[in-house]
Amino acid sequence: MTTTETAVSVVVGFVVLALFLALVTGALGASYFLFLFGLAGMYALLSLGLNSQWGFGGLINFSVAAFFGIGAYGAALMTAGNSPIAGGFNPIFGLIVGLVVAALVAVAIGIPTLRLRADYLAIATLGLAEVIRLFLRNERQWTNGSAGIRGIPSFFEGWPVLGTLPQTMPSLEVVIVPGSPILLGTQFWRQLLNVSLLLAFLGATFFVLRRAQQSPWGRVLRTIRSDEDLAKALGKNTFAFKMQTFVLGSMIMALAGVFYAHLNLFVNPGDLDPITTFYVWVAVILGGSGSNRGALLGGFVVVAIREGSRFVNDFAWFPIDGAPLRLLLIGLLIVLVMRYRPQGVLPPQRELIWPSAIEGSGTPERPTSGVREQKGSDEAGRNGGDNDE
Amino acid sequence: MSVIEFVANGVVYSSIIVLASIGLSLIYSIAGFANFAHGDTMTVGAYATLVAFGLIGGLGFTILGVPLGFFVATGVGIAVAAIVAVGTQRIVYDALDVGSIGLLITSIGVAFIYRALIQMGFGAGTVRYDIPSLRPIESLQAYGVLITAHDLATVVSAAVLVIGLHLLLQHTDLGRKMRAMADNPDLARVSGIRTYRVKLWSWVIGAGLAGAGGAFLGLFNQLAPRMGFNLLLVVFAAVILGGIGSVYGAVLGGFLIGMVVEMTPLLSRVGIPVGIEYAEAVAFLIMVVILLVRPTGIAGDADGGGV
Repeated sequence: MTTTETAVSVVVGFVVLALFLALVTGALGASYFLFLFGLAGMYALLSLGLNSQWGFGGLINFSVAAFFGIGAYGAALMTAGNSPIAGGFNPIFGLIVGLVVAALVAVAIGIPTLRLRADYLAIATLGLAEVIRLFLRNERQWTNGSAGIRGIPSFFEGWPVLGTLPQTMPSLEVVIVPGSPILLGTQFWRQLLNVSLLLAFLGATFFVLRRAQQSPWGRVLRTIRSDEDLAKALGKNTFAFKMQTFVLGSMIMALAGVFYAHLNLFVNPGDLDPITTFYVWVAVILGGSGSNRGALLGGFVVVAIREGSRFVNDFAWFPIDGAPLRLLLIGLLIVLVMRYRPQGVLPPQRELIWPSAIEGSGTPERPTSGVREQKGSDEAGRNGGDNDE
Repeated sequence: MSVIEFVANGVVYSSIIVLASIGLSLIYSIAGFANFAHGDTMTVGAYATLVAFGLIGGLGFTILGVPLGFFVATGVGIAVAAIVAVGTQRIVYDALDVGSIGLLITSIGVAFIYRALIQMGFGAGTVRYDIPSLRPIESLQAYGVLITAHDLATVVSAAVLVIGLHLLLQHTDLGRKMRAMADNPDLARVSGIRTYRVKLWSWVIGAGLAGAGGAFLGLFNQLAPRMGFNLLLVVFAAVILGGIGSVYGAVLGGFLIGMVVEMTPLLSRVGIPVGIEYAEAVAFLIMVVILLVRPTGIAGDADGGGV
C-alpha cells in the first residue's frame, strides 16, 4: 500500500473506533447511526455515478441533482399514498419508473450537450438541471410543487416477511457498558433494512461498474477521456460511447434518488438544489477522479461535513451558524484539494492496471531449458497434431 | 400590462445583466476560464455598497431619486469587488496549475466561500437599501410606461459604465493591450505586453462591473446572499448568446436575454402557455439552442478570441 493508502486506513480506523465507542456508550443513537450510514452510502452511490461520467468519461456533468431528483420523484410519485399522479404502487415499480425516466432524460440532455467542449457542457448541464428543478417546482398539479410529497412507504412495504420485520422483531436491549443500555427497537430494525437495501444497491452498482470499466468498452472510454481525437482517429463513435456512460451514470444517480425517497419518506424540489450537485462533485474530486473507492471515501466525508455542521448549532458558544459553515467548508475543501492534491486523496492506481497483467506477481521465472530445445519440442508437438491450416 | 411596460421593465433588467455579462466575458477571454464565482462577486459588490451606504449616508441631494451617497457607495462596492477578485487571483488561482477546467471547478469553491462569508456576516435573510421607494414617473405614465426614477438611474448608470468601458478599450493603452491579449495571448506577450498585469486589470474591470451590477440589482429588487448565484446562469446565457470574447457581443447578449426574461409573460398572449415562473428556463433553453446551432454566439470569433 502507498503511504496515502496507509494514512487513509489509519484515519478511517480511528473514525470507526470513535463511532463504535459513541455507539457503545449510548452517545450516538443506534438508529441515527444507521441513518447516517445510509446517507453516506447514498452520497457514495451518487459519487459512483458521477465518477462513471467524469472520472471515466471526462464529462463535466453539473446536473447530478436533477437525476437524483428524478429518481426520488419517480419513486415518490409511484408509491406515495397521496401522490398527485399514480400512487400506491409497489416500490419496485417506483424503482423501474425512476430509472427509465432518468435514462430518457439523460438521452434528451445528452443529445444537445455531449458534443460541446468541456466548459460549455458544464454550463449547459447546470442550466438544464435548473429547468428540470423549475418544472418539478412549478407543475403543482403533477408534483405537489414546493410542498413536496409525503407519505412515501418504506421500500419493503408489502413484502411478505421484510415488510413487517421492523414491527415483528423483538426490541432488544444490549448492555455493553453497564449503566447505559442500547435499545434496538422498531426504528433500529427499519434503518437496518434501509441499510441492507443500500448495501445491495451499492454492491450491484460496484459490480456493474467494475465489469464495465474493465471491458473493451471501458478501454475505449479511457481513451476518449485522455484524447478524444485519437479515439475518433481510431474509428470509434465517441459520441455513442459518451452517451452510454452518461446514461449509465445518470441511472446510478437516479438509483440513489430512489433510495433517498424510501429513506427520508419525503421529497421536495429543494432536494434538486444545485448545492447537491456540488456536494457530489466535492466527494468525487476529494476521493479521486476515476477511482471507485475514492468515490466511497468522498461520500463519507461529505456526509460528515453535512451532518457534522448541523451539530454546530447545538453549541451555543460557537458563533457561526450551521448552513453557511457547511458552504464555507465545502468551498474551502474544493479550493484546497484543487491547490494541493488535484488528483484526489485516493487516485486510481491498481484500478487502472488490467487484472491479467498483475496475475502471478513477481519476476519472470528463469526457463528450465534453452529456447532452442523448447522450440524443437514445440514443433515436434505441432507436427504430431492436426495440420488443418 | 401593455407591451410597452414589458419592454421598459426589460430594459431595466437588461442593464443589470449587461453589466454582469461584460465582466464575465472579459474574464473568460483574458483570464481564460469560465468564472463561476462571478455571480457571487455581484453579491459582494452589493453588500459592500450596503455597508458603505450605511456609513456614508445620503450626502444631501439626489439624482433621479437616488441619493448621491448611493452612487458614492456603489463606487466603494465596485472597488471592494475588484479588490476581492484580484486578491482571489493572487491567492488562489495563481498557485494552481490545473488548466481551465480545473480553474472552473476552483471558481465554484471560491463562489461558495464568498457566499458563506456574506451569509455569516449578514444573515441569510433579505435586506434593502435605506432608500425610500418611489412611485412611477408621472410624465411617462401617459405612454403606459410604469418605471420609477430609480429604474431610470440604473439604466443611465449602466449606460455610463458601458460607454466608459468602450472608451477605455478603444482609446487607451490598457484597452489596446486587453484587446491584444484577448485576441492572441502568446503574440501579446511576445510583443512586450505584460500579460499578468493586463490580466489583473481585466479582473479589476470585470469584477468591478459585476459589483456595480450587484449594487443596482439590490436597488432594483433586494439583497440576499443568493442573489448573485441565482443570476449566474442567466448571465452565462447572455455571454454565450453574445459570443465569448466579444464585449460588444456581451452587451447585445445581455440586452437580448434580459428582454426575453422580462417579456416571457407575453408568450402566453401569443398562445405558448409558458408562465412567468419559467422565465429563466426560457433563457437557459435559448442558451442550449445557441450552443447547438452557433456555439460562437452572435459576435464571438471562431476560436473565441478577440474583445
